[in-house]
Amino acid sequence: MGRKIKVLLAKVGLDGHDRGIMMVAMALKDAGMEVVYTGLHQSPAQVAEAALQESVDIVGISSLADAHRTLAPNVVDEIKKRGLDIPVILGGFIQPEDIPELEAKGVSKVFGINTRLDTIVSYVKELSGQ
Amino acid sequence: MFKEHEKLIRDWEERHKEEFKKERKPEEEFVSCSGIPMKRVYTPLDLEEKDFDYIKDVGMPGDCPFTRGPSPTGYRTEPWAQSLYSGYATPEESNRLWREAVETGVETIYIAYDLPTQLGYDPDSLEAEGEVGRVGISLTTQRDWEIAFDGIDLSKVRISQVANAVAAFQIANLICLAEKRGVDLSKIRGHCQNDILKEYLVRGNYIFPPEPSLRLTIDIVAHCARHLPQYLALSVTGLHFSEFQSTPVHEAAFMLADLICYLEAALKRGLDIDTIAPGVELSTGVDHYTFFEEIAKHRAIRRIYSRLLKERFKARKPESLRARIGGAQGGNSLQREQYLNNIGRTAVAAVAATLAGVERLTLRPYDEQYGIPTPEAMMVATRLKYVITQETDLLDTVDPLAGSYFVEWLTSEFEDRINKEIEIIAKQGGALSCIENGYMKRVLVEDAYNWQKGFEAGNIIRVGANFATSEHEERPVRVYRTDPKVEQERIKAVREVKRQRDNRRVEKALDDIKHKKDGLSTRYGRKQSYALHRRSRQVLRDQWGSCGCPERSLGPVCSSSGFLERRNSGEENQSSAS
Repeated sequence: MGRKIKVLLAKVGLDGHDRGIMMVAMALKDAGMEVVYTGLHQSPAQVAEAALQESVDIVGISSLADAHRTLAPNVVDEIKKRGLDIPVILGGFIQPEDIPELEAKGVSKVFGINTRLDTIVSYVKELSGQ
Repeated sequence: MFKEHEKLIRDWEERHKEEFKKERKPEEEFVSCSGIPMKRVYTPLDLEEKDFDYIKDVGMPGDCPFTRGPSPTGYRTEPWAQSLYSGYATPEESNRLWREAVETGVETIYIAYDLPTQLGYDPDSLEAEGEVGRVGISLTTQRDWEIAFDGIDLSKVRISQVANAVAAFQIANLICLAEKRGVDLSKIRGHCQNDILKEYLVRGNYIFPPEPSLRLTIDIVAHCARHLPQYLALSVTGLHFSEFQSTPVHEAAFMLADLICYLEAALKRGLDIDTIAPGVELSTGVDHYTFFEEIAKHRAIRRIYSRLLKERFKARKPESLRARIGGAQGGNSLQREQYLNNIGRTAVAAVAATLAGVERLTLRPYDEQYGIPTPEAMMVATRLKYVITQETDLLDTVDPLAGSYFVEWLTSEFEDRINKEIEIIAKQGGALSCIENGYMKRVLVEDAYNWQKGFEAGNIIRVGANFATSEHEERPVRVYRTDPKVEQERIKAVREVKRQRDNRRVEKALDDIKHKKDGLSTRYGRKQSYALHRRSRQVLRDQWGSCGCPERSLGPVCSSSGFLERRNSGEENQSSAS
């Protein structure tokens, strides 16, 4: 058994819907992972800084207000700028046609609404090599 | 008398034992969303168990305790008012939509703002990048208001809004526009979702810490009670709790606990209960999957409200004792998969709301799970009102389910459960304390997690999502998306306002906010000066501080895993401000 997987979950931008990210946090914790949640209204730079400070394995961001096309790539860039190689996953209200562009800009995986929690848990485990 | 009932029931159960075994699930699995065991059948015995007293607990429509509805004639006089929650990215685009809606019979324009507007940013604020016009109208300056409501008669159409943290700014905008047009302020109708407490729990659109925010809310209520007598300046909202997937019992209890907190704050300020209570509205969720719970919930809320106002707050006017309830179907109840099924869900929710006796109703367009609804979907939601109000016999009798053993029992059960939860909150110091100590959020997260697990296990069914699913996604023909170019257009528009306005008046107005006491009237001055949200927000934030507290208290999610500050400090980037 390796060490506990550590995940940073963040709400980026102005969107205040946090039910989805809370559910993901609960599921990851129930699966034995360590979860750090930033709270609402984070800037991409704040998320990257938190990822650095907390030395997390994965960053998960949530967006339900259609600002992800701007915010998700900015989070990826801010993480890279700090010399880190941490995968970023995105969940929330994401139009399927946006996914190729988001992936091209470095988002590892996009989970739309009605994704099962165990799908996310398995993906995070796989990504962390566990 | 009840001995005979008992014998009748025992005998009936004995005779049908074998048939009961064939029911589609075991007895203990018939449970309502709020966790209430649902019996096979209800009889006068169940009402006896509740000490049910028709005269005391139900009475007549339009009379205390208003269980049977707010008016003696119900919908025989007027059906529920339809409001259409809407807003396209720009004032120009929304103006076209709203004018058309008014022409087709919509009585209430229910403004949906974009997030920068709701959080007090201007389109050119750095924080607004990528968010302008995404989820509603970008409406920040008085100039924007002039454009958005061009050709719309403010004395005839109700102007409602989901404003919350920026309620003071936006009501000031409304007053300013009305005065400029010479509209008598006593004719202004509509309601304002000016319920900041629930923002810290489920909606997340707050700017300042809870206490000063609560003060500002009471400023607004006091101002509107004096100057806008027909305007419902405080719409206390349960809807977002149910949108968060809370149980109907928790939704009603949290909404009423918030209400108690507002009323206590108002009384502490020396306001008269009979002056402010008529300006209070309750906003609830009405979903198809909790059909009977919705009916019981609304009847129980009216009963609790009336008793609360009378016994605890010593209100005397009948208007103060009567709960005004605006219902709304939760967007959460709709599914993305097989999206046309949503029309059916909306119809069932509308019937529940009608039987529950709401005075105002917001129905969701069927394609909302794909983005901002298309005009076609909005029109179907509007016409659904006519199907219910013009084609059916649902409106002919007031509170037609009264006296049903089941509905009356469930109403009393709701009353008991809601009061118990309100008591738990009161024991911890009330809603404000329970926001700060994390109790309410913990309950909400637990409800939502239980729901999610039930849904994923297949115990909670949603057609198209986890039952009778389709192999291929059935997508709407057209999905509305905000044009990314809009952000630049809006930035240009506000820069133009900044160029043209009299900056001395702006500085004076902002200075007034800093030094004067009555929040709203100074903001009113600010609007006349064409000041923008961002600066006013900053002035208040400098005084009141930023808010990092609510998320820190999320118990089950965060307590064991370290927690980060929401912001490093109250400082915000100044470069785009002015």
